[in-house]
Amino acid sequence: MTTGALLPVFALMTSLTAAVIIFTLPEHKHQLRTAVNLVAAVLKLLLVGLMVWGVFQGREYGISFPMIPGVEFVLRADALAMLFAGLSASLWLLTTVYAVGYLEDSPNRSRFFGFFSLCVASTMGIALAGNLFTFFLFYEMLTLSTYPLVVHRGTQQALQAGRTYIIYTLTGGAVLLFGIAMLHNFSGDLPFRPGGHFADVTPDLQAPLTLVFVILIAGLGVKAAIVPLHGWLPTAMVAPAPVSALLHAVAVVKAGAFGIVRVVFEIYGLETANALGLLSGLAAIAAFTIIYGSARALSQSDLKRRLAFSTVSQVSYIILGLCLAGPVGVAGGLVHLVHQGVMKITLFFCAGNYAETLGIHRIDELDGAGRRMPATSVAFTLAAFGMIGTPPLAGFITKWTMGTGALAAGMDWVIAVLVVSSLLNAAYFLPVLNRIWFREQKKEWPEERQWGRFETSAWLLWPPLITAGFLVLAGLLASASFSPLGWVELIVAREVDL
Amino acid sequence: MITSPLLLITVILPLASLFLAFRPKGQTIYRYCLPLLPLPAILTGLMAEFHHWLELPWLLIGGVWGLDELRQTFLLLTSVLWATAGIFAVGYLETRKPRAFCVFWALTLTGNLGLIISVDLASFYSFFALMTFAAYGLVVHERTDEANRAGRVYLAMAVTGEMALLTGLLMAAHQADSTLLTELPGAIAESDRSGMIIALLVSGFGVKAGLPFLHFWLPLAHPVAPTPASAVLSGAMIKAGLLGWLVTLPFGEISLPAWGNTLVVLGAIGALGGAALGLNQVRPKTVLAYSSISQMGLITLMVGAAMANMEHAATLFSVIALYALHHGLAKGCLFLSTAVQLPAQRRFRWILWLLIALPGLSLAGLPFTSGAAAKFAMKDALKPEQYDFAVAEYLPLIMTAGAVATMLLIWRFIWTLHQSAQTGHNHPFKWLGWVAATVCSLVAFWFLPGARSEAGHSWFVLTPGEVWSLSWPIVAATALAAVWWLARGRNGSGTG
Repeated sequence: MTTGALLPVFALMTSLTAAVIIFTLPEHKHQLRTAVNLVAAVLKLLLVGLMVWGVFQGREYGISFPMIPGVEFVLRADALAMLFAGLSASLWLLTTVYAVGYLEDSPNRSRFFGFFSLCVASTMGIALAGNLFTFFLFYEMLTLSTYPLVVHRGTQQALQAGRTYIIYTLTGGAVLLFGIAMLHNFSGDLPFRPGGHFADVTPDLQAPLTLVFVILIAGLGVKAAIVPLHGWLPTAMVAPAPVSALLHAVAVVKAGAFGIVRVVFEIYGLETANALGLLSGLAAIAAFTIIYGSARALSQSDLKRRLAFSTVSQVSYIILGLCLAGPVGVAGGLVHLVHQGVMKITLFFCAGNYAETLGIHRIDELDGAGRRMPATSVAFTLAAFGMIGTPPLAGFITKWTMGTGALAAGMDWVIAVLVVSSLLNAAYFLPVLNRIWFREQKKEWPEERQWGRFETSAWLLWPPLITAGFLVLAGLLASASFSPLGWVELIVAREVDL
Repeated sequence: MITSPLLLITVILPLASLFLAFRPKGQTIYRYCLPLLPLPAILTGLMAEFHHWLELPWLLIGGVWGLDELRQTFLLLTSVLWATAGIFAVGYLETRKPRAFCVFWALTLTGNLGLIISVDLASFYSFFALMTFAAYGLVVHERTDEANRAGRVYLAMAVTGEMALLTGLLMAAHQADSTLLTELPGAIAESDRSGMIIALLVSGFGVKAGLPFLHFWLPLAHPVAPTPASAVLSGAMIKAGLLGWLVTLPFGEISLPAWGNTLVVLGAIGALGGAALGLNQVRPKTVLAYSSISQMGLITLMVGAAMANMEHAATLFSVIALYALHHGLAKGCLFLSTAVQLPAQRRFRWILWLLIALPGLSLAGLPFTSGAAAKFAMKDALKPEQYDFAVAEYLPLIMTAGAVATMLLIWRFIWTLHQSAQTGHNHPFKWLGWVAATVCSLVAFWFLPGARSEAGHSWFVLTPGEVWSLSWPIVAATALAAVWWLARGRNGSGTG
């Protein structure tokens, strides 16, 4: 076995090993645990960086061995995998830093960081999975490792949310497994392959393929929070801020969206899925989800709940992009996988900062917060404008690319969806910004604490500032080859045979 | 054509100034830096013979910045006005939340300058959006209920306008298969959906330009902002919408008489309706805001004519630029004068009133002012016999009525200002800024490239007939104002 084959394994093992070590560490070994966390996160980022460089040069890393007869365990680093792995590895490092600061002095930190590492190992597995079966394994591992994080606080509300979460996701997983088994039944073990496996569909296969597609999407759609399968997401926002950040930006919702990308691109093939008429149905559902999520966000008075409904809306951009079935539209959807992650994690970090430093949870408590926490508020503002799609930020690049793709595909109605969604985004983000910057503080902060020499603990302050920097650069330098858009164009050139 | 880093400095300097806001003790320094921020832009505008050009392939979806004749005039107008208003702001701001003002000032300025030098549409749209959103901070600066309400209306209409622009630009760029603004007009002309694209762009930019029925935010927002911000809002930023029209719509590519008719009708409504509403206002800044709508209406006449007959587009463009330059500088002065306090000694006051009135009279086309140059060029360019669209024959009538209305509005402004003017001491920078703006409007105007390019006519040598044609609307309006004043009784007070 060459080192090339081992790189994906190493990348996976770093967080798995970290999880094992952390579980065994005594609760009070705070500094050692932090060191293990950070070393593992940095190591993984380096490994992923190495793979990204190799994949860019045209190399492929992979390993496979049979699990049970007819079913292989496959890990493979291709350009698409690197998109998700890169996002996950970079944001994990920042979230770890944030979580260390956030959970200072709180109980059960060993348990928390153990599952946290497992959760990240799962996303790495999902990114690197080379066939549906391997994908499924990590997909379920993600469900099981995120549940303890959602209920971490142990309150009645958290347990209730955890119950909802586990019911939704396990059911989704079961449906997904059923779909995978059906597919396996008539076509055997299918590795992910650019262009898919069903370039020439015989008429008798059309009906079963359509049925399996619906089942697979239903299974994956739970995590991707497609309406009406989104119910768990807004309730799960009771989780601690770093968990919400990870759930909404990288781990869970993205796992669902990424799965849909794999199924559409590399099992069915974009053209076949389009020819079977599967994408137009999916597009309609995604469009509805985009509008519905934004409309619901409008009426939320809790900051994190508003952000949660915003996620419901934004993740479906990715799916709508795929449904445009052309190189430009697909690029717009894929790049939003990264853009949404960076923007949403910034928003959740900032929401966490407001909550931990000032005790603010409701939007109407934010009056004058900009004066008290200027740096956090600048990061929040940039991310909110990014979500609205204001140029030159990351969200604009998504919107512009998708809009161009929609026109190229002759799907002009998508522009209307983008415009309505932007207006709704403006309607639920701008009043928040107005409160932060332009209103005077009305009363005492609900629960203020002085934390370090900055506006809040440095551990909590730097991660959102860095991700805010990312979201500015991802937009401003979109045409540079190392930007998310540049990488996505590489993927589209390699993977989508159009 | 040379690669010009000066273009980069033009937008980087105001943007970089934001770092001053981080220093708790940097407030005073920042305030005094405001007049310096537009200096690279002024320099760039004056050095036009270099044909500035800059390609930034990594920027957004491919950045190209440059300066042509049209952009040069807009850049000079914008930077000069921001510089003089910046000087004024140093004095005006003494005790009024200077940090927030400086931050939004610098951001809005960056957007306003950047959109002028953008040749690719992503840069243009980015700077346009930056200007739009940052200006909100200037509008609501005083945090009064009135300011907050104006801010809400402003933002709602601006965001809607941005969406119209996004859709229009997307469709145009798709048709052009290019992201360069220069490719859009030709592509729109050929598109089978040109009507829709033009409607989206006309209305999207029309929100900024104060097009009738899209103007509602303007008389609310321009007056409530701090005075130096009102000056740049009404003098410079309103022109960003106009520039947007000029660089995207298919001028010179295709003749669209239907659009000509529509825009001329809208322009007439703006020119006369804006004036009519303005006459009912009691606050000087609101009167001026309606005057801006009215003046933009007159400019819209030319935009409509250029749409209707493609062969006149090039000529009309230089006249539009000249008119924009004249109006921007004059309107800037008028706004600044609303915050100038009268000297205590009565014998000096008449000089002050004369200086306040002169830019207003210039707007009305007083001979030997910039307004005379602009009005004359406009009359010349809008001779109805050159055009073949339906409402072209009404152009002279609208222009004459517009000139009378402008003068009436100026009298209204002076009267309301007289009612509300206070005596007191002015900070030296306020004097300096106001005097600088007035000098720019009355004197420096003649030396700016945008005005020089129209030097085919010699403005200083007018025939008696020409003097009369410019003067009689002023005389008529003055007579009307005098009659009104006498009729309501010399001792009448309060609202009119």
